[in-house]
Amino acid sequence: MQRAGDEGALQQPLPPGWDEAVDVEADPAVIPDPAEVDVPSDLREEIEALMAKYPDRHSATLPALGAAQRVHGWCSNEAIRQVAAVMQVTPAYLSSVVTFYDMLRAQPIGSRYVYVCTSVSCHLSNAKAVYDAIWEEARDQGLEDVELREFECLGACDMAPMASIDGRYVGPLSEDDAPEIVAALREKREVLPGRSLEDKGYKLPWESR
Amino acid sequence: MGRPEPNEIVFEIDGREVRAPEGMMLVDAAKRGDVEIPYFCYEPKLGQPVGACRMCLVEIEGMPKLQTSCSTPVKDGMVVTTTSDQVKKAQNAVVEFLLVNHPLDCPVCDKGGECPLQDISFGWGAGRSRMIEPKRHFKKPLELSPLVAIDRERCILCYRCVRFSQEVAEDYQLVFLERGDHTFVGTHHGRPYVAPFSGNIIELCPVGALTSSAYRFRARPWDIEDSGSLCPLCPSQCNVSLTIRDDAKVVRVLARDNADVDDGWLCDKGRFAYQSIHSAERITAPLVRDGGYLREVSWKRALDEAEAALDKAGERTAALVGGQATNEEGFLVQHLLRKGLGSPHVDSASGDVRGPEQARVLARPDLAAKVSDIDHASAVLVVDTELVDEAPILDLRVRKAARRNNARVIVASSRPSALDPNAEATIRFAPGMADAVLAELGAALGSPRGGVGFASRGGSREEDVRGAAEVLRDAEDVVILWGERVAHAERGVQGIEALLALAGALGIADKPESGLIEIPAGSNGRGLREVGCTPRLAPGLQDADATGMSATEMATGEHPALLLVHTDPVEERRERDEWLQALEDAGTVIAFSGFRTDALEQHADVVFPAEAHAEKEGTLTHPDGRLQRLRQAIGYPNEVRAAWWVLAELCERAGAGVGAESPPALTEKVAEAVPFYAGITLDEIGGRGVRWQEREAASSLPAAEQSEEQLEAPPELAPGLRLGVRPSLWGGPEVEHSPSLSFLAGQTRAELSPADAERLGIAPGDEVVVSVNGTSVRAPAAVRSAVNAGDVFLVGDRLPGGSVEVTKA
Amino acid sequence: MSELRILTEHTDRDDLHEIAVYEELGGYRALRKALRDMEPEQVLGELEESGLRGRGGAGFSMGKKASFLPKGSMDKFLCCNADESEPGAFKDRLLMQKNPHLLVEGCIIGSIAAGANKGFIFIRGEYSHQADVLDAAVAEAYERGYLGDRILGSDHSFSLVVHRGQGAYICGEETALLDGLEGKRGNPRLKPPFPANQGLYQGPTLINNVETLCCTPYIIDRGKEWFRSIGTEQSAGPKLVSISGDVQRPGNYEIELGIPVRDVIYGLGGGPPEGREVKCFFPGGSSAPVLTAEHLDLPFTYEDMAQAGSMLGTASVIVVDDSQPLVPLALRLAEFYRHESCGKCVPCREGTNWTVKMLERIDEGEATPMDLEIMAQVQENIIGNCLCVLGDSMAMPIGSMIKHFREEFEAHIAAARERRQLEEAAAFSAGELAATAEAGPA
Repeated sequence: MQRAGDEGALQQPLPPGWDEAVDVEADPAVIPDPAEVDVPSDLREEIEALMAKYPDRHSATLPALGAAQRVHGWCSNEAIRQVAAVMQVTPAYLSSVVTFYDMLRAQPIGSRYVYVCTSVSCHLSNAKAVYDAIWEEARDQGLEDVELREFECLGACDMAPMASIDGRYVGPLSEDDAPEIVAALREKREVLPGRSLEDKGYKLPWESR
Repeated sequence: MGRPEPNEIVFEIDGREVRAPEGMMLVDAAKRGDVEIPYFCYEPKLGQPVGACRMCLVEIEGMPKLQTSCSTPVKDGMVVTTTSDQVKKAQNAVVEFLLVNHPLDCPVCDKGGECPLQDISFGWGAGRSRMIEPKRHFKKPLELSPLVAIDRERCILCYRCVRFSQEVAEDYQLVFLERGDHTFVGTHHGRPYVAPFSGNIIELCPVGALTSSAYRFRARPWDIEDSGSLCPLCPSQCNVSLTIRDDAKVVRVLARDNADVDDGWLCDKGRFAYQSIHSAERITAPLVRDGGYLREVSWKRALDEAEAALDKAGERTAALVGGQATNEEGFLVQHLLRKGLGSPHVDSASGDVRGPEQARVLARPDLAAKVSDIDHASAVLVVDTELVDEAPILDLRVRKAARRNNARVIVASSRPSALDPNAEATIRFAPGMADAVLAELGAALGSPRGGVGFASRGGSREEDVRGAAEVLRDAEDVVILWGERVAHAERGVQGIEALLALAGALGIADKPESGLIEIPAGSNGRGLREVGCTPRLAPGLQDADATGMSATEMATGEHPALLLVHTDPVEERRERDEWLQALEDAGTVIAFSGFRTDALEQHADVVFPAEAHAEKEGTLTHPDGRLQRLRQAIGYPNEVRAAWWVLAELCERAGAGVGAESPPALTEKVAEAVPFYAGITLDEIGGRGVRWQEREAASSLPAAEQSEEQLEAPPELAPGLRLGVRPSLWGGPEVEHSPSLSFLAGQTRAELSPADAERLGIAPGDEVVVSVNGTSVRAPAAVRSAVNAGDVFLVGDRLPGGSVEVTKA
Repeated sequence: MSELRILTEHTDRDDLHEIAVYEELGGYRALRKALRDMEPEQVLGELEESGLRGRGGAGFSMGKKASFLPKGSMDKFLCCNADESEPGAFKDRLLMQKNPHLLVEGCIIGSIAAGANKGFIFIRGEYSHQADVLDAAVAEAYERGYLGDRILGSDHSFSLVVHRGQGAYICGEETALLDGLEGKRGNPRLKPPFPANQGLYQGPTLINNVETLCCTPYIIDRGKEWFRSIGTEQSAGPKLVSISGDVQRPGNYEIELGIPVRDVIYGLGGGPPEGREVKCFFPGGSSAPVLTAEHLDLPFTYEDMAQAGSMLGTASVIVVDDSQPLVPLALRLAEFYRHESCGKCVPCREGTNWTVKMLERIDEGEATPMDLEIMAQVQENIIGNCLCVLGDSMAMPIGSMIKHFREEFEAHIAAARERRQLEEAAAFSAGELAATAEAGPA
């Protein structure tokens, strides 16, 4: 899907690595020895606690990467090395997982996110125009450190068109909401108070469930 | 656990009745009825089918949808169709989809002519593509490692390479990145895929996506011929198929599947070290020291000088035989010494230190396991050997047993092992103290020979030993893979006794699928012992008439003539300084060697050019007793002659001719001299080898009884750092002289525990000096959490035993 | 036209997620009954005979699925599929956010029926608020002894972990969900082996949708006969429908299956905006082949939707009105499946990608009517040949759109070609003029 800064509609950008040879001089990325990697102690404890929740420690991979992403802003080489050292898995295993899942960021494209749903039901409700409006507004206001992208169905077709802003579902949206959304993000305020699914007393305008 | 015995069933395919073992995958069973079903992703060597390529869809009566025949086990009465319109339509569709983004650049593709995608598109495709949209175009080829090039346009994402990395080698460096039609094969963060078995992905790739940097554009399929042989570069002795161009040049090495030996895999050393065969550095004519330098001379002169020196030295001649020597060469060397010159001083380069009776007990068929026993063992105990460096293909075998058949793995080693993560129990002990742990383990399992309380003297934790005993106690069949290192320790003789006590406690002699496999230090360590290249044993493990000097003793001896067959002890043995002195002091040094080494350059007087393995005929004995055949694939370069011929000639000149003038005749002589090889011929060995234990002549092994004596308690561990010396897979002249592999050659490492590293102020990657009694080497430091405090491991280099010091350079 | 209020009876309350409130309203009563008054086999039998069919899309009998798990004392797993990601579906979100304890209780009852001792709720990562709500509910349930060892003093032990995904539609496929839960890329697995025998960590595993599990406490509490009395013989029990797209009142509604589709779209959803008509609709999420206005009077059931050539699926109705051009919709749909295809099997990976490219070409005026034929055949070549149903999920609706609206596609192709030719002609003359201008007078 489109990421902030990509011109044109739905051109899937080439993933990094596609067109590059490896560094043949470098060492292979093997499981890091715990003695050779410094891991922030909070992150280490969180990952260890996650591993303990499952019969097989590998099950902690997704939440562990999510935790590392919260610390590092994205799944950077350093973040992956830290998870690899605590979980005793190879960095490649983690990279493979990171690049599979939409919510894990393989590039430094912002530590917060705005996912604008433009999937089938939202498409019917003209969501693309809402996305474009937010994108233009973000450009004009110089919004930084936010991953803004079209996203596949977020499971909120009742409030179409809608967006998820760091997990907070807001909608129904119109193009007129774009300036306020971007301003709130810039000022780190709550976005559209009262219009999120999780807000107390939230109701759709037509009052269905 | 035992081995399942499948029932034979009858099923119908395309109107024919076909018999097959129940549960066999349909795609394989179909072959029994001469029905070929196309596929890309299916490869049983990789484990469970993945069903990703969809090429093998067939119609099965009673099933509404087409089924993947790679994942459907045959059942009695099954009715299968592979030729219906529905199946053909699906096959056409899959081929069309596969080619949607494939560049169809066959004319410039290295795989052309031996490409499954080409064959299947031709055989099962519709012959046209309706896709007119632009295809993906990417820069190609790209380096995936110094050994492998990747062309992502050609890749059909069949999963074979990544499954190999993840589920066979378990290095998990090669993965799929991204998702959907963006998926591509890659590594983490642009790192190279460098791992001991990486080259197998080239052979697995069904398209031209993964190609060998060393082989690319060297030949087309019609330029080449295959020649079956084996790889003598390590004790695994994998079966190989050499790709020969123009009857003269080895241009590639492929696996030649032998489930009893290698499962069809090769390590990168075995796959790429063929380049050393054609190295310009090779010695290709006899050399004699003349005016202080080694100069090329005629064969006559070299043989005359050797003959004269041997004749003069007579019974004081000493001979050391390198681990890669064939049984025939080993036999001839000991024959030359013992029968021709009257000297008892012959040993293998690794040095045979066990007692004669121990050697005979260890050779007993009832204590022996074969490689395929590992697959079905309920527990596998790995003792003081790092398989991935010392017999790499067996490392894969143990992983397979654990992954597929839930074998419980126990690693008892002083140095942390690559198999630790697969192990249910691990025991660490101080370098050289295997005997203590083995004794304690035996005692815990009820051995009457004692051992309680030994483990802590060996630097181990008792609970670790108890944990391992727990696993072994429940196990039905146990295979013990033990490193010859156990025997080479200061307390090696006790180590073997402790090992035998443990085997006794486990009742191994009474369980046909349990047993021991020794991982020898030299490739043909077992064969050389059995043909008599040991100071105390004549051919056939019979007591020698006189006891000669061992390799260790030779290092401090003065030899009027020293014969070095395929070995340079200064490069191979721990007591390097002593050997340098011994060579300097020797009257005449006669060597067989493929390459000039510093020591030979300085001290050899006569050097016979050695054949490379592709030029050689002879037999080797696998660690599990399988005699295998090394076959000549190409002619000799320049003046090279067979070492067996040279040795036979020297025997003749010493008045002890063996009367064999061809390799088969010589093999027959060896079989005559070794009673338990009796009657073995090259024909019988054939392409798959034969285990001597499974032949009638095995009963001619001299009877040997295990000792029942109490084991001797080890002394308390001395304070201070303890040194372990370990080879790396990437050692040896073959790696050094293969341009593709040279990036791996000569890598050394000093491994320390975090505690010692901190105490000595050493950080990972620091250059350190490791010294023993004045001899020192430099190496980068690696800090490993799993190394016991007090232990230091020098990997890829050598130092003698003694008290060790490590300092930051 | 009245709505049912069973699963949604109290979902208007703001405090239903609190365990005390849930208990006060009769919550965990069914669990007590199942543990104290019934044998596990009875619980299983009750579910089997209730006629409850899986609410996640496939519609397989829930009880039967649970009965496939082998008996014995090995670890057995229950996975709740809360990876609701199908375009058009948002019913599980409502249940989890508003009534989390119903799901927790449903999981425990499911675990009794299946003999499972470890449970996981795999919730899509985007539902982070709902996951927080569930986490709190699970913690409360542990505190009250509904989860953990020897629940309420019985012999049954069951642990439950809320596991968040990280964004992949394919994890809603049950075997891909297992891979995701094992910490891998979410790739579907070959079946057989089926999860009931070799699922999570290779152990026996029961996988059920959120709504399916939420039905179980009611079945235990009120009995199978009560459950069967709702709906039709083959479509028993209450059902949530998510209505979205071109309707006036999108949202979740609880119904008795068997009412006419028209009642769902017009009666509940309010129908298309003033002055518009229904052009087509997806009866069961975006993977379901579209049906047209002529199908509006069919009963909304598993069996009738299947007979009409579509499926009830998740009962997520997406309505498309007559103002919407279909080619952009088809393209959007195909892009969704291309993006979400895991890439494991060839027909899905390459087929979704090829279909997107063809639709783009149609929209850009570079296609001919022959391309429509090829596109239809490509959809046929995908269907039935893939490892899982994702490829079919694109091919079936796209194929159905071409089938029902071929004329519109052809008209679109023609119009786009014409537009393009005009544009090219204009560009050509502009270029010619420019070239003439540059050359100057002769």
